[in-house]
Amino acid sequence: MSTPKTFQEIIHRLQEFWMDYGCVIQQPYDCEVGAGTMHPETFLRVLGAQPYKVAYVQPSRRPADGRYGDNPNRLYRHTQLQVILKPSPDDVQDIYLESLRRLAIPLEKHDLRFEEDNWESPTLGAWGIGWQVLLDGLEITQFTYFQQAGGVDLMPISAEITYGLERIATFILDKDSVFDLPWSPQHDYRQVCHRSEREFSKYSFEVADIQSLFSLFEIYEGECRRSLEADCILPAYDCCLKCSHCFNLLDSRGAISVTERAGMINRVRALAVAVARAYCKSLEPAQGEEQR
Amino acid sequence: MSGSVLFELGLEEVPAGMVERASADLARSIADSLQELDLVFDSPLKRYSTPRRLTVIVTGLPQRQADRREVVTGPPKARAFGDDGKPTPAALGFARKMGAAVEDLEIAETPKGAYLSCPRTIPGKSVAELLPQLLQKAVRGLHWPKNMYWRPSRFRFIRPIRWIAALFDRDVIDLEIEGVRSARLTFGHRFLSEGPVEVESAQGYLDALKSGFVVADPEERRSMILDGLHNALPKDCRLLEDDGLVDEVVNLNEYPTAICGGFDPQYLKIPREVLITVMRFHQKYFAVQGRDGALAPHFITVLNTAGDEDGRIRKGHEKVLRARLDDAAFFWDNDRKVRSQDRIPALENVLFQDKLGTYGDKTRRLQAFCAALSSIWPRLEAAELDLAAQLCKTDLVTDMVGELPELQGVMGGLYGREEGLAEGVWRAVYQHYRPVSLEDGIPQAISGAALSLADRLDTIVGCFGNGIQPTGSRDPLALRRLAQGAVKILLELGDRLPPRLSLKRLIEIALEGYPSGSLDAATAAAVYGFLIGRVRFLFEQEGLAYDVLNAVLAVEVTSVRSSFEMAQALSDMRKQEDFEALASAFKRIRNILSKQSEELAEIDESLLQEPAERSLHSAFRESSPQVEQDLSGGRYAEALSRMARLRGPVDDFFDQVLVMAEDEGLRSNRLRLLHDLSRLFLQAADISEIVQSE
Repeated sequence: MSTPKTFQEIIHRLQEFWMDYGCVIQQPYDCEVGAGTMHPETFLRVLGAQPYKVAYVQPSRRPADGRYGDNPNRLYRHTQLQVILKPSPDDVQDIYLESLRRLAIPLEKHDLRFEEDNWESPTLGAWGIGWQVLLDGLEITQFTYFQQAGGVDLMPISAEITYGLERIATFILDKDSVFDLPWSPQHDYRQVCHRSEREFSKYSFEVADIQSLFSLFEIYEGECRRSLEADCILPAYDCCLKCSHCFNLLDSRGAISVTERAGMINRVRALAVAVARAYCKSLEPAQGEEQR
Repeated sequence: MSGSVLFELGLEEVPAGMVERASADLARSIADSLQELDLVFDSPLKRYSTPRRLTVIVTGLPQRQADRREVVTGPPKARAFGDDGKPTPAALGFARKMGAAVEDLEIAETPKGAYLSCPRTIPGKSVAELLPQLLQKAVRGLHWPKNMYWRPSRFRFIRPIRWIAALFDRDVIDLEIEGVRSARLTFGHRFLSEGPVEVESAQGYLDALKSGFVVADPEERRSMILDGLHNALPKDCRLLEDDGLVDEVVNLNEYPTAICGGFDPQYLKIPREVLITVMRFHQKYFAVQGRDGALAPHFITVLNTAGDEDGRIRKGHEKVLRARLDDAAFFWDNDRKVRSQDRIPALENVLFQDKLGTYGDKTRRLQAFCAALSSIWPRLEAAELDLAAQLCKTDLVTDMVGELPELQGVMGGLYGREEGLAEGVWRAVYQHYRPVSLEDGIPQAISGAALSLADRLDTIVGCFGNGIQPTGSRDPLALRRLAQGAVKILLELGDRLPPRLSLKRLIEIALEGYPSGSLDAATAAAVYGFLIGRVRFLFEQEGLAYDVLNAVLAVEVTSVRSSFEMAQALSDMRKQEDFEALASAFKRIRNILSKQSEELAEIDESLLQEPAERSLHSAFRESSPQVEQDLSGGRYAEALSRMARLRGPVDDFFDQVLVMAEDEGLRSNRLRLLHDLSRLFLQAADISEIVQSE
C-alpha cells in the first residue's frame, strides 16, 4: 500500500476501510457541532439495543480554539472521522490498528500506544472510558467505550473511534503546519480553509452579537421543548445542537459569567437528556403502547 | 511431583498508575485462596505485569489437597444410650445421618463432656479441579478505581478482558471469564510479534514472551529503562532524576527503549519550570541538564518498541514537542504583556467553588486572613504579604496556566519576578501551593508559608461550613491533602510561628473571612477535629505510637510542633518504671474524678490529716510551678520527669489514704488535691491513655 499524498486521500482511504468493514458511510451533520459525537448518528444511535455500524467525516467547530488561521495547529474548525461500532467487537483495537495500516503507516517502525483518557461531555450528559492513541507522541485518535449518553446508561456498549484528521495528515504528510497540507494535488489546506478560519475566528471573538446569541439560545431551547411535545425528536435534537453552538459562541465572546456558565451547561444538558429519554421511549416495542 | 500454575489475564491497555496495585492484589487473592484450601506452595508466589497483562505463577503446589480427618459430634453420651446400654433413637438418628452403623461411632471427650461422635475422612480434591473457580474468583474480586462495561453483562472491569492463559503444569486450566475461554496462548508485543504465542508451562513463560518482545517482569523493565536513560544521555549531560516518571513509564511499556531527542535552543528562554512541565506532564519525557544544572535542549523518551533505526520516531516526538514549546513560548511572551495587578478584576469571573464564590471573593478573604496573620506575626512583612495575597490567584487567568494548570502559583511567581515585584512577594506567590504532597517541602519563604496556610484554611473552613466534607473515600476537593499540607507547614515552622497563633486561632481567623453568621459554630469544632486527624496521620508517619498520640491529642493542640515534641518526650519517658506506674495511678485518679460532680473548694491545709496526703500535697506544691515552667519553656522531657517523680507520693497516698472518707470535708479536700494534680498533668498529656507494657 502506497503512502497517501493528500488530505482528501487520507479521508478517502479511511472511509473505504470502514465501508469495507460494513459501516454505513454517513455524511457530516448539517448543523454546527463541536465534535463528531454530537452527530445524531452517534448520540442517538448509541441509545437502545439495535446494532449499528457507521462512519462519517464531521467538521467540528470549536469557536474558542480559533486562532485566525495564524497558529499552525489550532483551528476554529477541524475535521474528525468518527466511527461507531455497536456493539463493540472483541477485536476492536485490532480493527482500528488495521485502519492505520490502510494509511500505509508501518506501525512496527513507530511508537504507538494507548494511554488512559476518559472522555466526557457535560453538555451531552455523556461519558465513556478509553484512551488517547499516541503515535510517536502525537495524539491521533480518541478511543472510547461509551458508557452513558444523555444521562442514559448504555447497553450494548458502543466503541467510538474519533480520528483527528489534521493531526494524522500532518504526521503522514510530514508538515509542521496544517495549512501546508496538500488537500488535493492542486490545492493546499490554506487555500481551502484559511479564509474560513480567519473570518470565523473574527466573528466568534469580536463580531457575534451577544444579545442576539442569548436570544437565539432561548428561542432554540423553547423550540426543542415544543418539538419534543409533538414527538418530533430528531428536530428537537437539532435545536439542542443549536443551543450548544450558541453557548460555545457566547463562551468565546467571553460573555458568560461564572454563575451563568454552569447554569447554561445544565440547560443544554437538560435538553440532551430529554431528547435521549424521548428517543429511548420511542424505541420501546409497540406492545407497551397498546397496554397504555 | 510438585505442580506449577501459570495464570495470565490479557487486557486492553490498563492505565499505567493502576497496574502495580492490581498485580499485587491478584497475587494476594490467589495466595489467600490457596491457603484457605490448605494447599502449600512456594511463597511468595511470582507475579508479573505489563499494561496488557497481569500474571501470577505459583510453584511447589501438590497435585491434591491432603485428606482431612474430621469428627462430627452427635448427641451427648448420656443421651445416646439407655440404661440398658442400647442406643437411643437420638443415637440411631445420628448414625443414620452419618451413614454409619452405631457400632462404628465413637465417644469423644470434649470440654463440654462426652459426646457420641463420628470420625470421617474427607478426601482432598485434585488441585486441577479447584483452580478454575479459585482463579475466576480472584479476577472477579479485583478492585479498580474506575470501571467500565464492554459487553452485555453486568460485570465491570478496568478495561476489557481479551485473553486468558492458564496452565497447571502442561495442562490448560479450563475456565471462562466474561466470555473469554482460557487456553495455552498468550500474545506478544502489538507490533513486533505476530499472532498468539504458545506457552508450554509456567517455566517457559517469560522466555516465550521475550521472544515476542514483551518483558513481563516490571523490575526488569525498570532496569532496562534506567540503563536506557543513562545510555541515551548526550555527552556532558545529566538526567533530571524523576522516580515518579520512571514508575509511570515502567507500566506504559511492554518493551521499553529510551531515545534522546532535541529541541531548538531558542526555547531555553522559556522558564525551566515550564519546559519541564511540558516535557514531563504532557509528553512524559525526561528533562536533561548540563553540567551547570541548566536545562539542555534535549529530552529522553521511553518508547514501547525495540528501537528507532532510522530516527523517524525521534523526529516525530521532536515535532510534537516543538509544537508544544511554540505554544508555551507564545504564552510566555503574551502573558507578560499584562501586569498581574491588571488581571485582578478578571478573577471575579472565575468560579472558585459553587458555594464559596469566585476567585475574586477568595482573594479578598486571603487578604483579610493575611492581615490578621501579620498583626500577630512580627516576622511577616505586612505590605508584601498583602500584595502576594492579592496577586496569588491572578495566574489562573493567564494563557499559560489555562494550558498547563500544573503550573498554577509557579507562573504567578515567575510573572511577578519578571515585573520586578519584591522577592518576598513573588516568592510567596510562587510557593503558595506547596507542599503538594507529604513528600514535598514546605514554602521556604515565611511569607509563602503564611499564604499557603491562609489559602488552605480558607478552603477547608469554607467547605466544612457549607457541608462539603470528605466522607470515606470521597474527597472531591482534596481537603485531606490540603489539611495535610497545612499541618506539615505548622509542624515544620515550629517556633517561627508566633505563640499567639494557636491552631484554634487559625481556624477562627479563617471563619472571620466568611460573612458573619454564615458558618455555624460547629464548623470550628469540626475543622479542629479534622485537622487533628491529619496531625495524627503525620505523627504516625513519624513513627509515633498510637497510644502516645491518644495521650497527646486528648488535650488541646495549640501548637503542632509542641504536641510533636511532647509526643516524642512521652515516647522516651514511657519506658521508665516510675512513669508507667504514674500513668496507671493517673488512670485511677481520672476514674475517681469522673464519678463525682460536687463543686470542690480550694484545698484547706488544716484538713490534710494523714502524713501521705500531706507529703503528696507538698510534693505537688513544690513541683507544680516547675512543671508549668518546663511546659511553657518547651522542656517536655523535664516536665514529664518531674511528674514521674510524684509517683512515690501518689502511690503512698493511694496506699494509706481513703479518698472517699465519710467526713465530707476530708473527702472534698482529698478530691480537690487529686483534681489539682490531674489539671497539672493534663497540661502535658492525658497519660492515662498510655497502654501498659506487660
